[in-house]
Amino acid sequence: MLQPLTVVVLVATGLLAILAAHHLLRRRLVDDPIVLTGAAIEVALLVQLVVGLTNASAIADGAERATFIAYLFTVLVVIPATVLIAIKEKTQWAMAVVLGGAVVVAILVARLQQVWSLHA
Amino acid sequence: MPEQPHTEQTRTEQQPAERPHTGHGFGRVLVAVYGLLALAATGRSILQISEYFDRAPVSYVLSALAAVIYIVATIGLARGDRTSVRLATVALTVELVGVLVVGAISYAVPSAFPDKTVWSHFGSGYGYVPLLLPLVGLWWIRRTNRASEAVAPELAAPAESES
Repeated sequence: MLQPLTVVVLVATGLLAILAAHHLLRRRLVDDPIVLTGAAIEVALLVQLVVGLTNASAIADGAERATFIAYLFTVLVVIPATVLIAIKEKTQWAMAVVLGGAVVVAILVARLQQVWSLHA
Repeated sequence: MPEQPHTEQTRTEQQPAERPHTGHGFGRVLVAVYGLLALAATGRSILQISEYFDRAPVSYVLSALAAVIYIVATIGLARGDRTSVRLATVALTVELVGVLVVGAISYAVPSAFPDKTVWSHFGSGYGYVPLLLPLVGLWWIRRTNRASEAVAPELAAPAESES
């Protein structure tokens, strides 16, 4: 698929993970850098959704294509959900949730790339 | 558990007045993880049942069952009132029994599960998260129950006679 986009998302999730880990250690709560990085990732994921949907027909196997499309949509949910949970939580567990969410997005994006490279 | 709930993780309890809640503090992590599993299992089982159910019906029915259990556990832990927590306790217990039974069967009779489920091989395909999560979840529910008995014993007492 779009290799550069995948790289951008992985770098951004890495940045979010580092920010969250830093805040976790410093016992800080959600702040602008966290929200803005999350928003940037979300925009990149929306671009990925559009690119992915327009190119999904390249995957011949129907089940694999359905998996690919399901991943494209699922990955969109993670950042908003984790940031919302983090905003409501006033202990350092908030940052643990954001950190986990960043890792999950990275894993899902890597899985997307894997499905694409194996079947398209 | 001999330890006192508040000594071990004092850093998480900055508001001593607040009643313990299964969906707050560390519970947010549990809710997030269960929510993610609920999402993943639901998506996967919709796909399996609609696209290629005949390939491995037993596995796919189990996936759907797991999805329902994860949804119940997520909502139960997030809501945190007494009924919800009980519901979550049941869901987590079923999950634990399920992963143990299915895990054991998948090793003993590999042909029973031609396609993997979240629970086969004790969840090894998911980093053993399906095995560890119900244990962590049940520990957490027990811990918040104990803590709320300590905070408000008069509210916790009827629960004992009721059940």
